[in-house]
Amino acid sequence: MESLEKFLQSVGWHLPAAARADILAELRANLEAQLEEREEQLGRPMTEAEGEAWVKALGSPVAMAARYGPQRSLIGPGLFPVYWYVLRLVFFWSTVIYLIVSGVLLAVNGPTAEAAGMVALRLPGVWFTSAAWVTLVFAALELAAQRSPKFRTELAEKVGAFNPGPIPGLEEDEQDRRRQKPRSYAQAAAEFVFSVLLLGWLLLIPANPYLLMGPGVAFYQSLPYRVGPVIEWFYWTVVVLNVVQAAWAGVDLMTGAWQGPRRLERLAVKLMGFAPLLVLLAAPQHMLFVLRNPGADEVRLGGTLYTINESVHRGLEVVLVIVALQFVFEVVRAVRDRG
Amino acid sequence: MTVAENLFENLRLELRRGSLTLAVLAQLRQEHYGYTLRKTLAERGLEIEESTLYPLLRRLEAQGLLVSEWREEEKRNKRFYRLSADGEQMLGQLLGEWNTINASLNNIL
Repeated sequence: MESLEKFLQSVGWHLPAAARADILAELRANLEAQLEEREEQLGRPMTEAEGEAWVKALGSPVAMAARYGPQRSLIGPGLFPVYWYVLRLVFFWSTVIYLIVSGVLLAVNGPTAEAAGMVALRLPGVWFTSAAWVTLVFAALELAAQRSPKFRTELAEKVGAFNPGPIPGLEEDEQDRRRQKPRSYAQAAAEFVFSVLLLGWLLLIPANPYLLMGPGVAFYQSLPYRVGPVIEWFYWTVVVLNVVQAAWAGVDLMTGAWQGPRRLERLAVKLMGFAPLLVLLAAPQHMLFVLRNPGADEVRLGGTLYTINESVHRGLEVVLVIVALQFVFEVVRAVRDRG
Repeated sequence: MTVAENLFENLRLELRRGSLTLAVLAQLRQEHYGYTLRKTLAERGLEIEESTLYPLLRRLEAQGLLVSEWREEEKRNKRFYRLSADGEQMLGQLLGEWNTINASLNNIL
């Protein structure tokens, strides 16, 4: 019957080559026996239409052929929960990293509506690439597990293992967080001593730049660029801040205030931390770096210097935004703790 | 098909899936070829589609639970299957497991 022949031919296209002839011979024998019995019951040969209906009821030739192959999955049920978890993590972090990098590039190159639009349009591509790589890795693991029983056992042990030890401690509830462990006197004293030492180091830097740059001093001195006048203002702002912090720590030690919560001090330090940043951002014409020999190098290196200064300025603007957000977060937390 | 019918069908298939192998091994305590096996199982109340049964026979043979041979019968070459020694042992174990599950279910129900 032609329908049966067509069905067997279709099944054969999807069978593994090595076993194709044998499987088709067996399938043919079984189906022809079935056909004969049907025709005996009918008392006549089946018409072509009846034959087609019968063959249709056998189902898809592709599905039939697939069942003769080994049962495979791209990512099996054992690995799939881990795969799903990793995929969600990678989606999240690839999005975050892509947006941060795109934001910085937008800031450096000058934000335009077109550039921002391109960032949004490229995001699905980032997701697709991330998903493709994660799927490829896990499909490779699944294939290796299917081919090697030893690897399959090891993988199953790793995936199924649960060790509560390394898991971070139970999350603090709100009350535990408010009852912060008090600092010891030794800790407070050590912090004061450290702040004094830090101040001493800062004060020595102008006369001994190697204390900051190490062997890189020679390299810096060989560059056609040097730090601009605004860096001196920045330096002294940092020194003043450290003097204030060291003095505050000293007063706390003498008055016993070191035992109390230091929410206000932390907020004040964070607020003061804006000062050096704002000094740099306020540099005239964004000139953080200047030429050592402007007369000789202005024409050759002026453009490059401009690009360097503008890029650093844009980067500092991004840093300012991040620091501001952190400060707001600290304020909100402090207000919540007091409440 | 409604959602409830769809759900029932999925769960029914899941319930059947595990029983098919046991039924096929049990029936092959006597020699059969594919079509007569399907017919015998249907007469005993277990309908199995061709696309399920015939590949299952190959898989069980690949697992060493069945042995087969081509023989001519009624002027046609047919592949006859029967249990191997490993298949008989496996059948015994699966029957034991089946009886345990059956007893547990009867307790629960």
